[in-house]
Amino acid sequence: MKLRTKLTLFNAISKLVIVILFVLLVPVLIKNISSSYVDSKLIKQKNKLLQIVKSQGIETYIVNGEGYGSYLPLKDEYISLDEVDPKYYLDTIQRGKRLFSEGDTLEYRILSHTFKVKNKNYLLEIGKSVDTLDETSVPLQNLAFQVLLGMILLTVLADQFYSNYVLKPLRIIIKTKLVGQKFPNFQSYRKVRTTTSDFEHLDLSIHKMIETIADKFHREREFISNASHELMTPISILQSKIENMFEEEDINDELKVRLLEMQKILNRLKSITKTLLLISQIENEQFLKEDKVSVAELLQDVYDEISIRLQDKNISYEISVADNWYMVNINKFLLFNLFFNLINNAIKYNREGGSIRIAAVAVHDKFLISITDTGIGIDDDAIPLIFNRFKKFRQSLQQDSFGLGLPIVKSIAGFHDIEIDVVSEKNVGSTFKLIFPATLIIVS
Amino acid sequence: MNVLIIEDEKALAHELEIFLTNYNYICEVCYDGASASEKIAVNLYDFILIDLGLPDYDGLDLLKEVKKLGLDAACIILTARTEINDRIKGLDLGADDYLPKPFSLLELQSRMQAIIRRKFGVKNNIIDLDGFLIDLTNRTISYGTSMVNTITKKEFDLIAYLILHKNRTLTRMQLSEHIWGSVVNNDYDSNYIDAHIKNIRKKLNAFASPDWLETVRGLGYKVKINA
Repeated sequence: MKLRTKLTLFNAISKLVIVILFVLLVPVLIKNISSSYVDSKLIKQKNKLLQIVKSQGIETYIVNGEGYGSYLPLKDEYISLDEVDPKYYLDTIQRGKRLFSEGDTLEYRILSHTFKVKNKNYLLEIGKSVDTLDETSVPLQNLAFQVLLGMILLTVLADQFYSNYVLKPLRIIIKTKLVGQKFPNFQSYRKVRTTTSDFEHLDLSIHKMIETIADKFHREREFISNASHELMTPISILQSKIENMFEEEDINDELKVRLLEMQKILNRLKSITKTLLLISQIENEQFLKEDKVSVAELLQDVYDEISIRLQDKNISYEISVADNWYMVNINKFLLFNLFFNLINNAIKYNREGGSIRIAAVAVHDKFLISITDTGIGIDDDAIPLIFNRFKKFRQSLQQDSFGLGLPIVKSIAGFHDIEIDVVSEKNVGSTFKLIFPATLIIVS
Repeated sequence: MNVLIIEDEKALAHELEIFLTNYNYICEVCYDGASASEKIAVNLYDFILIDLGLPDYDGLDLLKEVKKLGLDAACIILTARTEINDRIKGLDLGADDYLPKPFSLLELQSRMQAIIRRKFGVKNNIIDLDGFLIDLTNRTISYGTSMVNTITKKEFDLIAYLILHKNRTLTRMQLSEHIWGSVVNNDYDSNYIDAHIKNIRKKLNAFASPDWLETVRGLGYKVKINA
């Protein structure tokens, strides 16, 4: 999940939780507020009444010992005053129910207070209906919920907008500096505009790292290219000298055999150097990709080169490729070498009398050419390493090789954006799948 | 034939001279561009071998001079530079061939022969080997009245290469470099030459025993032609 989404989601959820908590608390809060408000009103009324009793005498309310009672029309308030037992004492405010003659039971907040006038004990009760209060709390709750929800939406939108704005540099860094970079062809550095120092730092650090990698990488390439070039002339001199020595009249056969051994070793040096040079040329993009060639024809060319090796090992060879498949925007020389090396490996690591099958199929918008052999196979844990230079995993065989066949294949494939997928089972065989993007193959 | 070798690596120039002299070419050697430029202006050559990486000269400029003088000489570029542009530029400027270093001297001789055939229009280029008539121009082999048409392209290349360097033992390395030179190969195994030779012998044996195709024990093969 993206950082921005996470932040927005967290903001929204945390706010929602707080609002729900608040809304749930609303009834309790309202009850508290209203009862303290009612209580203070009741106390005020009590004080007023006591004031009246003090100044005008208890007779204002109680005549001939008969209790006083007064209700407002809707019975949401009442006052009663009665004479009670002298020892009775009460001074509370609490909830209580009162039953009326009509059968109504109403709930009140009731202030009870006893006081003495002229040695007589009186109980004063002032009640205020709370039903009306309870009724108001539900709509209040709803209202609060709606208003707050609206506010949340607003803040979430604001958050979203702001985080979008503030995280934009990060997004650009990721898009252009990390995802957009195609190793090893780094784009030139463009500073990402930001006022956030963290991002500035991140941007600069990534840039520095990429610069270091690119620099090391170019140095390595340059070195390989220079080294292999520089080796060409001395190898050439040695090769010429050996060739001329073969023709010297006073050289006996024993010496000739030793010259031949020298030639073999020189040949090895030459192959390695030439291969390294080829890889460096591919990596430096010194080849054009402008050729168009029929897949079947190219495979036939490879077959012509390689048939003697198939024959030598008695390996059957089967190609099922449609005649109307053409590779375009490719370098024919390189593609030839790619197939040559793959098929050569399929022969080299095959068993006597084995088989090689080359098949081409279209899958969605991609094209797949697979080379399947019945050879010794590759260990699972070795598969990721087989494309590394100078790594030899299948060394048990007698054939000499120096582990640059698959690195060539990888370089050529990479240069053409061809993916390689390797599936292998030990002692059963291997399949090398070449996945061509739609831009490289046309069917006509 | 007169050959001018322009190569600043003295050791290599020397080997080229020895080799070509053996093949009856008359050689002159220059180690720098300036003296080469003088020689080109004064003398006539059939072949000029130009190394591109001269200390004082761009080899391509020498090539331009040759063409400017309207000389008939065939130019072959020898270079350790492998940029494709150089190759294209060289051929565009009228070079007759381009040999990247390191190259085999035999390959150089084979290219020079090809140029001679092309330039002088050698038509009758048929070699008679104990009744086998090998037509190097049309690339056919016949025996008596019948054509030997089972020979593949690669096999013919091998025979032609051996004939070109007749009476000389060619090692498996030299042969495989010639017929698989264009392939950037991972292995230096040249045993497949034996398989090719075996096939050639089998196919020719259907007509007559090709005794002229000799195996030189431990070294390689040669075609013996008695002059």
